[in-house]
Amino acid sequence: MSHPLEQLRDDALREIDSAPNEQALEAARVKFLGKSGSISSWGEQMKSLSKEEKPIVGKLLNEVRTAVTNAIDARGETFRSQKETESLAKIDISLPGTPNERGSLHPLTQMLDRSIAIFRRMGFALADGPDVEDEWHCFDALNTPPDHPARNEADTFYLPDGRLLRTHTSTVQIRTMTAAPPPIRVIAPGAAYRRDEVDATHGAQFHQIEGLYVDRNVSVADLKGTMEYLMHELFGAETQVRFRPHYFPFTEPSLEIDVKSKALKGGEQWIEVCGSGMVHPAVFEQVNKARGDDAYDPNEWTGFAFGLGMDRLAMILFGVPDIRLFAQNDLRFLRQFA
Amino acid sequence: MKFSVNWLREFVDLPDDIADLLTMAGVEIERIEERGAKIDNVVVAQITASSQHPNADRLSVCEVDDGSGTKRQIVCGAKNYKVGDKVPLALPGAKLPNGLEIKKSKLRGVESEGMLCSPIELGFGEDASGLLILSPDAKIGAPIVDLFPADTILDVEITPNRGDLLSHYGLAREISALTGKKIVGQAHRLPAGDAPALQKKAIKIAAPNECPFFSARKIDNVKIGPSPAWLRAKIESVGIRSINNIVDISNFVMLEFGQPTHAFDADKLKGALNVRMARDGEKFLALDGKTYSLKSNNLVIADQERVVGIGGVMGGEETGVTESTTNVILEAAYFLPASVRRTARNLNLPSDASYRFERGVDPGMVLRASERATELMREIANAKPAKEIQTGGELPANPPDVSFDYEKSDKLLGVTIEPKRVDEILIRFGLTKRKLDGLKPSSSTGEGRLKKEGRRLKAVESNERESIERSARWGVPSHRRDLQRDVDLIEEVVRAYGVGNISGSDRSRFTPSSDADREYNWEAQLRSRLVAAGLLEARTSKLIPRNAPAFSDNAVTLKNPLSEDHVALRPSLISGLLDVLERNVRAGAEKLSIFELGRAFIPPDAKEERHLAILLWGNASAQSDWRTQTNRRLDLFDLKGALDAVVPQLSFRKWSYPDLALAVEVWSGDRKIGFGGQVASTRSTTTGPVFVAELHADLLLDAHEVAKKFRELDRFPSVTRDVAMIVPEKVSHEEIVRVIENPKTPLLESVALFDLFSGGEFASAEKKSLAYRLTYRERSRTLTHEEVNAAHAKIRERLREQLGAELRE
Repeated sequence: MSHPLEQLRDDALREIDSAPNEQALEAARVKFLGKSGSISSWGEQMKSLSKEEKPIVGKLLNEVRTAVTNAIDARGETFRSQKETESLAKIDISLPGTPNERGSLHPLTQMLDRSIAIFRRMGFALADGPDVEDEWHCFDALNTPPDHPARNEADTFYLPDGRLLRTHTSTVQIRTMTAAPPPIRVIAPGAAYRRDEVDATHGAQFHQIEGLYVDRNVSVADLKGTMEYLMHELFGAETQVRFRPHYFPFTEPSLEIDVKSKALKGGEQWIEVCGSGMVHPAVFEQVNKARGDDAYDPNEWTGFAFGLGMDRLAMILFGVPDIRLFAQNDLRFLRQFA
Repeated sequence: MKFSVNWLREFVDLPDDIADLLTMAGVEIERIEERGAKIDNVVVAQITASSQHPNADRLSVCEVDDGSGTKRQIVCGAKNYKVGDKVPLALPGAKLPNGLEIKKSKLRGVESEGMLCSPIELGFGEDASGLLILSPDAKIGAPIVDLFPADTILDVEITPNRGDLLSHYGLAREISALTGKKIVGQAHRLPAGDAPALQKKAIKIAAPNECPFFSARKIDNVKIGPSPAWLRAKIESVGIRSINNIVDISNFVMLEFGQPTHAFDADKLKGALNVRMARDGEKFLALDGKTYSLKSNNLVIADQERVVGIGGVMGGEETGVTESTTNVILEAAYFLPASVRRTARNLNLPSDASYRFERGVDPGMVLRASERATELMREIANAKPAKEIQTGGELPANPPDVSFDYEKSDKLLGVTIEPKRVDEILIRFGLTKRKLDGLKPSSSTGEGRLKKEGRRLKAVESNERESIERSARWGVPSHRRDLQRDVDLIEEVVRAYGVGNISGSDRSRFTPSSDADREYNWEAQLRSRLVAAGLLEARTSKLIPRNAPAFSDNAVTLKNPLSEDHVALRPSLISGLLDVLERNVRAGAEKLSIFELGRAFIPPDAKEERHLAILLWGNASAQSDWRTQTNRRLDLFDLKGALDAVVPQLSFRKWSYPDLALAVEVWSGDRKIGFGGQVASTRSTTTGPVFVAELHADLLLDAHEVAKKFRELDRFPSVTRDVAMIVPEKVSHEEIVRVIENPKTPLLESVALFDLFSGGEFASAEKKSLAYRLTYRERSRTLTHEEVNAAHAKIRERLREQLGAELRE
């Protein structure tokens, strides 16, 4: 035969479970656990129990109270979560999200950042030099004779004071070497200028990354390895890279670098991306003369240098058909690279 | 330069992959053009009659003679012929380059036994306007292939150091060196024994530093006329117009050997030729029909009265060869590249001749070219050349020998190439290996010597050989003046060996970061902060137009701008950003929030500074949003917010600047680092206020902390109290904050404005209502309400007393 408390518990649990709503549940709570509720009143009755019965009934009372309380809580939680779910179910989840206005980096900046990151992995430090240069840094020191066509006013922008806008970032090679002895391992991103008619592939101003590595025993093989790694990192491991002999006054041998990849616009064609070569000994000799020492002894040091056209690389990588889009900064263009 | 493959084949066998071979050896093929007919069953036919097609207005019915004896009837749509013309006829069975197969057929009811062809149908060029009218000399019935032999034209980019490749013989010589195939024919050699005598010092050269050598040969009795077909076809195949036999011969020799020559009408020259510098202002009527005013640094060829040619550039109109010429003087000279380059550029008169002299012609070819032209004049124009060639000056000596270190070459290339292979390559390029001084030829050990001595000699010999193998001296041929030092020879080796045969190596080196590295990192950080704040990065041209509307005062201008859009170096980035604004507004943008980080060039000496500029215009949100009722306009406080994203704790002071309607200076601590404000509406065509700011970013870099420092997190709660007040309109936020914060209340942690209202009744009373939230905190304990209330009451009291604020409870 069960104790009346157990009977009471069973009645309570039944009532709680069948409570149809929060009001009914609250009524059940008052009925059983309220100040004068049927379970609470057992507390009063305890006083009249015998010493032996007291602990047993006390324990039972606690268990019953806990069970009923838990049941009420659980039932209450069910009601609340039902209510919450019902109220949220009305929300139209297809409504647009709150606009989050993203800014973006210019595609040329992204191209520069990507390239610089790759060079940094190979241990190149950055170097810098001015856009407004003198003829010595831009031409003489780079083994370009005084009557060379590039020096002509038809091809180079001059300032009234005789200075010029550098026609390539190779000027930074000279600035770096005159400032510090070898070994040198630098890249120099920057702008260069040519007096070209502006069209889809030429701007008056363009962007380059110049590179220079001078050390003992630097070879064409090192140049190849470096540039192959760069192109594979930039355009994917399946990219083919070829080195074509060419002519620049400040390198010998001189090599132009072409890439070919199905992933790139232009598909199966070789695309010229970079001029490069082994630093011409005459360049070292000019640097030594300016330094007043023999730090760059061509018999001891060799080096490679390269100039990567960033606008062209960005056009290839992003499939941009016209170089002028970079300078126009149309929002519809910029946002594509966000 | 354009090269005819047929012409090249006269000198050397060509491999199938000629384009690849040359390109990979540094002689880049830019374009390959297939010429001529490769079509069977197309013959020369003469139109013997033509009548209107009975059923089609635009067609005619022709009767043609194809040489077979029976006339053919052809329906034709072209109008550009007349009866008697000779035209190409595609016979039934012919397959044209465009894929069309010719069959007998009926056109609108009339039988057509073939098709008359236009140039494009035969694959010649782009002309589709009518039939190809052939020369009246064309033989009826002859295959069209005979008239247009197939040829391939290579358009080749010759680098400026390789003047020796600017001729068919020169390129053939290069191909021979690369493939090892021998040069065939003897056209390039002076005929042995029969060489004309030189009458030295017969020509006066007053400028030997510009023209070291000049030769002239009198050639009498020339018969001027059109060139024979072969000559005409040859020069025209590479894009030179045929003029007359004498001029064509001169051009032919230049295309064949690379040496320009010039023919004067001998009877129009007044006295002997001489070479001198022009007199300042001397006038010259050139062959192009223009009169040039010369300067004293222009080299000229003159007779006793006037200038008759500009050295290495162009001959004169008055002394040129014409229909009536009977005697000529043939010039062949060596002009120095720098001289010709200077003059051609000064006069803006580039020519085929100057192009070659600028890049350096082969001294060894000067007289050979003269002789070759003479031969052809004798053959073609029936000429009687003088026995002697008059000359002045001396041809330059061969270039000096170059030493070559095999080990150094291997080191520079990063690959080991057998000395034997190196020698083979250099010899093929025309270099001569010199015997080392003091070494007898090794073949001197003969039979009959003592065995002992023989052994000793053998030992010596092998030592000698080793030393020979380490390095060698090489003689350079006259046409390769670009080979001056060992690296030039190394380049020849690698060109022939193939760069592709060197495998790349992964060489790296640890490098300490530089100032430029730190600056780049800082720039990247600035950019990413602005991008995170929702701004788009722009990159505008550093060259700005002559009259940029604003922010361009005193900009340093170029001495030689090319277009009006790129005239000056930007002193500020804002003019470029305003241009971007205009472009985007035209394209329909409703909002623009952009920045640029880059160089500015500060007048008067174009000092380079790193600047950061921001431009804001238009709606605060790019698109209207279903949850936001109104889309407010961007304003000065958005600009301040954007600047805060870059550098915290900037302060702003009123300023004045002509391009700004509202101008502020931007200060960081006690340094002015830039300016900003609202652009004066007179300086911008855009509707609505435009806000700009420009900071000198180098100054920010100075103050930039490399790493943030940790500050203990607050462990005790803060207490906030709001204070709402009405103050006179002229009292600024800054003043209110100063009163709140001074004297300093240790418990006060921060002050934030959270409401401002100045409309309605406040406006008419010239007052405004503001509400601030004050946060109190003691870092070492929990505050009591009493102490906060006391501190807050003091602040309230100050606001009342010092600003006359009406405080609201």
